[in-house]
Amino acid sequence: MSALTHPARRRASRSVLWHVGALLVLALVLYPLFWVIGSSLKPSEDIVGGLELFPTQPVFEHYRKLYDGIADIPVSTFFVNSLVLAFGSVAGVLFSCSLAAYAFARIDFRGRNLLFSLMIGTLLLPYHVLIIPQYVLFQKMELINTYVPLLLGKYLATDAFFVFLMMQFMRNLPRELDEAARLDGCGHPRIYWHIMLPLSRPALITSSIFTFIWSWNDFLGPLLYLNEPDKYPVSMGLKMFIDQDSAADYGGMVAMSVLALLPVLAFFLAFQRYLVEGAATSGLKG
Amino acid sequence: MTSWRNTRGLRAAGVSVVALGLLATGCGGDGGTGAGGKVEIRYSWWGGQERASLINRTIALFEKKYPDIEVKTDFQDYENFWKKFNTQASAGNAPDVFQNSVAFLRKYDDKRVLLDLSAQVEAGNLSMEHFRAGLDKAGEVDGKLVGVPVGGNTFALIYNPAEYKKIGVTPAEGWTWDEYDAATEKISKGGLPGDSGGGGIMYLYDLVLRQNGKAFFTDDAKLGFTEADLEDWWNKNYARTKAGVLTDPKKIEQAKPTSGLSKDLSAGEFTWDNFLVRYTSETKTPLAIAPVPTTDGKRTGQYISSLMLSGSARTKHPKEVATFIDFMVHDPEVGKIMGYDRGVLATEEQFDAYEPTGVSAQIAAYEKQIADNVEPITPHPAGADIVEAAFLRIAADVFLGKTSVDDGTKQFFSEAKTALGS
Amino acid sequence: MTDTQAAPAPSPPEERPAPRKAPAASGRRRARGENLAGYLFMSPWIVGFLLLTAGPMLASLYLAFTDYNLFDSPRFVGFENFTEMFSDPRWRKSVQVTTSYVLVGTPLKLAAALGVALLLNKPRRGQGFYRAAFYAPSLVGASVSIAIVWRALFSDDAVVDRSLQVFGVHVGGWIGDPDMVIYALVALTVWQFGAPMVIFLAGLQQVPRELYEAAQVDGASAWRRFRSITLPMISPVLFFNLLLETIHSFQIFASAYVVTNSKCGPADAGLVYTCYLYEQGWTNLRMGYASAMAWMLLVSVGLVTAVLFWSQRRWVHYEEDVR
Repeated sequence: MSALTHPARRRASRSVLWHVGALLVLALVLYPLFWVIGSSLKPSEDIVGGLELFPTQPVFEHYRKLYDGIADIPVSTFFVNSLVLAFGSVAGVLFSCSLAAYAFARIDFRGRNLLFSLMIGTLLLPYHVLIIPQYVLFQKMELINTYVPLLLGKYLATDAFFVFLMMQFMRNLPRELDEAARLDGCGHPRIYWHIMLPLSRPALITSSIFTFIWSWNDFLGPLLYLNEPDKYPVSMGLKMFIDQDSAADYGGMVAMSVLALLPVLAFFLAFQRYLVEGAATSGLKG
Repeated sequence: MTSWRNTRGLRAAGVSVVALGLLATGCGGDGGTGAGGKVEIRYSWWGGQERASLINRTIALFEKKYPDIEVKTDFQDYENFWKKFNTQASAGNAPDVFQNSVAFLRKYDDKRVLLDLSAQVEAGNLSMEHFRAGLDKAGEVDGKLVGVPVGGNTFALIYNPAEYKKIGVTPAEGWTWDEYDAATEKISKGGLPGDSGGGGIMYLYDLVLRQNGKAFFTDDAKLGFTEADLEDWWNKNYARTKAGVLTDPKKIEQAKPTSGLSKDLSAGEFTWDNFLVRYTSETKTPLAIAPVPTTDGKRTGQYISSLMLSGSARTKHPKEVATFIDFMVHDPEVGKIMGYDRGVLATEEQFDAYEPTGVSAQIAAYEKQIADNVEPITPHPAGADIVEAAFLRIAADVFLGKTSVDDGTKQFFSEAKTALGS
Repeated sequence: MTDTQAAPAPSPPEERPAPRKAPAASGRRRARGENLAGYLFMSPWIVGFLLLTAGPMLASLYLAFTDYNLFDSPRFVGFENFTEMFSDPRWRKSVQVTTSYVLVGTPLKLAAALGVALLLNKPRRGQGFYRAAFYAPSLVGASVSIAIVWRALFSDDAVVDRSLQVFGVHVGGWIGDPDMVIYALVALTVWQFGAPMVIFLAGLQQVPRELYEAAQVDGASAWRRFRSITLPMISPVLFFNLLLETIHSFQIFASAYVVTNSKCGPADAGLVYTCYLYEQGWTNLRMGYASAMAWMLLVSVGLVTAVLFWSQRRWVHYEEDVR
């Protein structure tokens, strides 16, 4: 009997070991986040430089104040704006970047290497020096104070990061698939839509998650292009609590950051399982 | 390549795109005359959400009185306000009215960004009467009126009275630097450094210079002191830091964004008087306000600095801008709402209308107390903000022991020359 | 960077099975079809590049050779901005700070990301929970609140300092210490290892289980399986992460800016390259100098990128190379 259960028991103890290890690393990694959550329950003057994780006497006043709005604007307004921008960005990136990625990965068109170099080149320049020319451009197009400057680029695949990410994935998919499809008379559009896109699901999901989060956290774009507080997203709402010459409301800001975390966390939780499922269910490998 | 000059090429690109019909629907509503003959003006400022709530209330009052003018607001924190402002202004899209500070008047006047309001004063749309002493001329640059003060502030010592009580010293008008140095030394013997360290604060050093008949900047946009002067000042501060009289600069650095004083790292700090409001909200320790010491027991060197409202030189509605500023600085109701949020109220009407309580009352009392000794302000040449930042940064290098006083002084003079030269 | 191995060298058309529709189609016709399809698929990117990226980039290239204060017309100054850089002690300082940040931060971050990804790749109970939890730090980005947390964690006698005291090391506050602040920034980037981790995970999912099973039958050790199966199979993803993290590290701005309270100090110890670029362009209004700095960075990072692309022939395995 012992001979029979031995491997099982070893497997079980290894599993325990794994969980212990993972939890240890996790505690380390999550400590700062717990600190933020704990701080949102501290009185404002205890937050900066405060050493304890959770207050002995939690206060909820910061959340209560948020309920009354920030600068006369309901907090929900910021969240709605952020969601519009984030989902709008995800749709754009999925559409435009996957097209470009497919072209780079699977189509032998002339000038491909040149375009690829140009694309990588766009990653290399710090955006601070592009701000003024871009602003002038959108101003001439009379698009200041709209969401267009914040979204247009997403539909035109200007995020080279995602083109590159999807391309790296597509290149690693077996060539036989599209070659077989070609033999069946499929053109590029159908190969792209029916074969490559479904198989690239992990890359698409990964890109969606990043796009969502980056759009959610983006501050510079909204700062420059939006001129009315009720169009502001959450990232800008967060900055309304602290200014050099007013009494700083650290409590309000930390509470708002905790709230701001929830939608991104929800988005990630909702889609992270597809990261795995995507490849596992495709059943193509081997 | 030359076509990119003046971004003309970009303009052409933008226009041609619109022409191509790719993005034919321009849905940006900017400025201009809105529906029903209403004039729309954009108003931006820096500040937190509480300031925004107060300002929103004052704008509601304004729009009620002037139903033909609609005010669109926009606000950010200080750093981002200027970043956005610079972007917009360089593209010719600055807000019609905006918050400004005396430190930036020349910088932006040089670049022709600011509206000269003198014509509006003559036309009777803006009154420059009834400003408190030291503020009436604060917004003038070379005979042009480019800023209108909304609130004033001045330097002070904000301190922890319990610590001073322990050593039996009461900071009061007429006290000298020798007395101050002795007091802080005595306090630091008890374990708490007497001062957060102000050797890198341009405005404090300016006061010390003014007490000695000099000033940080001269009228012709140069530094008003010698390398030897600065070496003395930094040597003194460095020695006091080493002796533990001034807080270890590492700890001050670490405590940001709160001040050393409000983290109980020292018994006092020289700063703007209205910061008492902010400091008090950051600590449980009771704080008080006292005058800056003098060299001879008499001359304070003090002046009133201020936050202002400025108009954009490219506004299409100068008259409405002037009307708006006039209302914001003179209307007593506005004063009652704003209180000392942007410094002690600038005009008599508003100063009298608002009854300060708590720490605001302390600040008001302090400004009244020093009012008789107020002198004209030191000019802030274009580049003053860069010089201020360099002064602060290099002083930190010096006090952290990364640079010698000698080298730091040379470095500062060289950077200041570049900043003021342009 | 010009010879991009990443885009596979186009193979001669005749090697490819011709479409059934036109059994005898000429290679040229087919190539024309490929070109058309290629540019159709690329069209959103091309429009975006021409409209939103190329113009501003050219504008910044022009500005790099000018004196431009944002308000007056740019004045052409030739190479003055570039020569000034080399005699500017703060520029040299920023290069030094950035280089050490990249060299220390990038490997550590990638190691953490790959390590945790491997840990999470095995199907275990609660795997999804762990994955989400490890990713959580990346959700917060670089905001004021993260700056406040980081300052608190690394302050005198706080959790980091106390943990180190167990080992007899007493540093004090890291953020206020010119010798330590850069490591606090490195710690922040390593802490946000979630993004490369997720990409590693997605890559690991592409590795066929059968390969491991076969190796296990052959009695290969775990390390050997990692070396000979996992690493080659995920090398495209590893390459991607290495490249992107390197580029991002060179461009670090937001976290340094907020953690150091917008000053990139103390004593310029946190003066990463883009921080200095930002200060010159936006505070000192020297956009010409800032643009020159940007192009200097572009060229340097471009060289690093080119080296990485060149090196990938040796260690990156793509599906098409295998067969």
